[in-house]
Amino acid sequence: MLILFFAFYFSLLTFHIFIMNTFQQNIEILRLQDPALAAQVVESSGGTLSIQTAKSGVPTASVNDRSIHSAYDPVREAERWAEHQIKDCQEGETLVVLGVGLLYHVQALRARLPQDAVILVMVPDIAELVDGLSVRSLQGWGERVQWVGGDPEQMALQVVQQSQRIRLLTYEPAVSIHPNSYDAFRSQLRDQLAKRVSGTLHIMVVGPIYGGSLPIAGYMVRALESLGHRVSWVDHSLHAPGYQHLDTIRDDRLRMTVQQRFSDTLGVISLAHVAEDPPDIVLAMSQAPLSMVVLEQMRRKKVLTAMWFVENFRHLTYWQQMIDGYDFWFVMQQAACLEAFKNAGASQVSYLPLAADPTIHQSVDLTPQEQQELGADVSFLGAGYRNRRELLPVLLGHEWSFKLWGNEWDRAGTLEAVLQRNGARIDTSTSVEIFNATSINVNLHSYTGMGFDPDGDSVNPRTFELASCGAFQVIDQRTLLSELFDESMMGVIKTPEELVPAVRTYLHEPERRREMAEQSKKRVVMSHTYAHRMQTLLSTVGLASPDRIGSILQGERQAESLMARSRDCPELLPLLKSFPATDRVELVDVARMIRRKGPEATLSREELLVLMMDEYRQEKRDFL
Amino acid sequence: MPSSGSNFPRALIVQLARLGDLLQSLPVLSSLRERFPEASFDLLCPAPLVCLAEMFPGIQEAISWNGEDWHVLAKGSNGDLNHTFPQVVEYFSRFPSTPYSVVYNLNNHPRSVLAAHLFSEQVVGAGNQGPLHMCLPPWVAYLRHVANERGSNRIHLADALCGLCGMKPPAMAPTMQAIQIELSSDLASIMHDSSLVRIGIVIGAGDVDRRVPLATWCRVIEACAAHIPNCVCVLIGGAGEREAALALEDQLAPQYLSRLVNCVGRTTLPQLAHVFNRCEWVIGSDTGPLHLAVACGVRTIGWYFSRARVHETGPYGVGHYVWQHLGHGHPDLWPVMETIQLILHHEPVDSCSSEWDLWTSHRDEWGMFYSQNGKPDHAIVEREEIWERLSGMSLEHAV
Repeated sequence: MLILFFAFYFSLLTFHIFIMNTFQQNIEILRLQDPALAAQVVESSGGTLSIQTAKSGVPTASVNDRSIHSAYDPVREAERWAEHQIKDCQEGETLVVLGVGLLYHVQALRARLPQDAVILVMVPDIAELVDGLSVRSLQGWGERVQWVGGDPEQMALQVVQQSQRIRLLTYEPAVSIHPNSYDAFRSQLRDQLAKRVSGTLHIMVVGPIYGGSLPIAGYMVRALESLGHRVSWVDHSLHAPGYQHLDTIRDDRLRMTVQQRFSDTLGVISLAHVAEDPPDIVLAMSQAPLSMVVLEQMRRKKVLTAMWFVENFRHLTYWQQMIDGYDFWFVMQQAACLEAFKNAGASQVSYLPLAADPTIHQSVDLTPQEQQELGADVSFLGAGYRNRRELLPVLLGHEWSFKLWGNEWDRAGTLEAVLQRNGARIDTSTSVEIFNATSINVNLHSYTGMGFDPDGDSVNPRTFELASCGAFQVIDQRTLLSELFDESMMGVIKTPEELVPAVRTYLHEPERRREMAEQSKKRVVMSHTYAHRMQTLLSTVGLASPDRIGSILQGERQAESLMARSRDCPELLPLLKSFPATDRVELVDVARMIRRKGPEATLSREELLVLMMDEYRQEKRDFL
Repeated sequence: MPSSGSNFPRALIVQLARLGDLLQSLPVLSSLRERFPEASFDLLCPAPLVCLAEMFPGIQEAISWNGEDWHVLAKGSNGDLNHTFPQVVEYFSRFPSTPYSVVYNLNNHPRSVLAAHLFSEQVVGAGNQGPLHMCLPPWVAYLRHVANERGSNRIHLADALCGLCGMKPPAMAPTMQAIQIELSSDLASIMHDSSLVRIGIVIGAGDVDRRVPLATWCRVIEACAAHIPNCVCVLIGGAGEREAALALEDQLAPQYLSRLVNCVGRTTLPQLAHVFNRCEWVIGSDTGPLHLAVACGVRTIGWYFSRARVHETGPYGVGHYVWQHLGHGHPDLWPVMETIQLILHHEPVDSCSSEWDLWTSHRDEWGMFYSQNGKPDHAIVEREEIWERLSGMSLEHAV
């Protein structure tokens, strides 16, 4: 018995000594790379990971009974992960690893990359790193890994200071230990990269035939152009009269079939535009008539596609059939929406709230006549959804004037007395005038039920537009509102019962209203314009495709960058030197420049090769 | 003038178009060899046709031009010039590095013109004035005019290619070197049975509107079996026509199946050349395989309709027949029995003349021409004047 006790004690002691030795050796390696981080590690006691022994005999880890590495063979698992990751990696990229755990995946990655490849490991939690360094040795590989700690903003800054050609490699099991930190890091990194954008893209925006997302497509186009990108707008609203004329077909099935064919044809038209002038990315707006067949053809032709789905994902569910069609999805709802899209198979889905265009949604001076016609103490502008029909009558019969604007208000009951212009659709410029002419703009999000939507999360475009106009609004509570605007910027009501008291209160406080509206306007200009949204969207795409969109955004296609990187192909230099340094230069541009030499020109071999490539680039034989 | 390392000048012929165009380049190759017997000639052609080009007489090397590779290079690496351009330079370095003394370019397509200038500073034919020059050489302008106007010209495309290169048509219609190549045992036994009369039937065509209905081909096969002793019909076509060939077998009356050999999709181009080599006659509407048959020394009967025109692309050589459809659309009647009569008696029969004209091939010092009833008409006589006018500017380019 005593012998057994000593044997057990001895083995424990040996294990403890092994851990101490490994840890100390690791600290020495770490100290050479990052003394500050090494000091932090020494100070920390660890404890994030629970360490066990895998069947293969090496340490493995879990958190709250959830495995971070394989319980059987963590080394093999990490090798498979690394092999999968390196398939897409390109020379010159900085590889940023998200997820620490026991670092098996980092070691496997290091082993598969050239010596000069840069690997940065993000460390949001020192305790987790301590756990890893206690049982895994860095010797022989950890010397060629860089560690980046701090809060998400600091980490993002450190990463972009190292390189702007970044590829994120996510080891999901370890990321799930600190999901919020990594999300925040990604968001910060995206913002940091957006600030450093110097290159311009060719973006094809495909809009809907008609509907609420149509004006947003227009705002997107303006925003992208204002950011310096070349935009090709495939404006299908041109075909709206023809499409709407199909309503004259009385048979439902026949009409729907013809409408589908019409829509399919518009998709093929979009494809023809892509073939004629290939963009870097096709950016589709909700309801864009791009069928799966068209999207699959674009994918075959290596055209990146993104969809900004500005609908309530619970109400309009066509996204489920289209989920595989787009490379990137952007949605205006969070948590449940992101989860639903991921579960349905979306490879990349990101939150992107709506916004305003301050060049359109702005303060305007009104003539007395306009003020007379469009102004009121209280106004509501929008379509006659059920909850609005239910709630808005409470605004009638008070000491204030109330006007109702918008369409789809047939059989509006008592509201008919205040319905303006017989319920005609109100265009954007008139909307802006109404917002400006109204003391209190009531902004109730649409809902097909009664009262306020209990799942109401996304914030409608009206919120941003009113704010951008410097117009005061009383708005129903939305879960995502508080991260976009402060409560000091608009009157937020949590229940329908609060509507009348809120209106009454604010109506008598014009100075407060003015200050709140001014604050909301500043917030829009600072953070919520469509230009901001497009920057975020493109940075997200760039981060996910560093060798394509990312490299273009970082200016790698500009003449000066191409010349600086042309050491492997000095023949390219004479072809590039005639371009202005910051001009984006593609094969087509070089070919055009060569053709301008005129019919008598004698061309070099390199020039002939460029023209030959351009000839093959132009071929569109199997695009449609 | 650079040479190939020996004392003999090296020349390259560039023909990047399709099967029929490649085969119609045989006469200009023959003329060039006659004119410059000391020179060596390479031929640049599309990769899938290299195996055939290697069978051309007098070709030192058939060089493969792989359009797919160029596509990948042009559209690869996400358009980053720093990545794509070195790849293209490296790719091109695999081609012969010593410039050719002269390149004879037979096609006015920009790729063909660029390829010609990549291989030599001296280009004869299309693009002779420079890779960016818009001015067409006289023969290229003539061919373009013919293609657009579809007039009654009588200068065959193959002869126009000679003119383009400053040559006169060859004294004799050239053929390819006959090669012995292994066939599958069932094909081999039929192809080498000297007791059989083999009639090749080209069932497909590149364009749908140039295809003969399968029922018509069934009638041809049945007529051959009924009227030509010991006749076996050999179905010819590419892999894409396999299903059509099977459907034809289904439609054919069972008693004729033993008179049919289905080669469709079963042969490489050299094997097909070998099969043609063993046929007595080849009938079809697809000009590419007909030209191959002619190059293999077989007599052919073409059924030309839709856009196919006998005077530009009729089988090159003497003793071939072309039934030219007179209308613009798809024929209603087909010269089935008339074709069988030609094979049997070498005489035209006039039973469906309202829809088809029969043309017979001849040649003189100005090359190939087709005539009706063997009588030279005004257009045939005009060829001499055209040759003198067009070739005054381009004849006699030295290698």
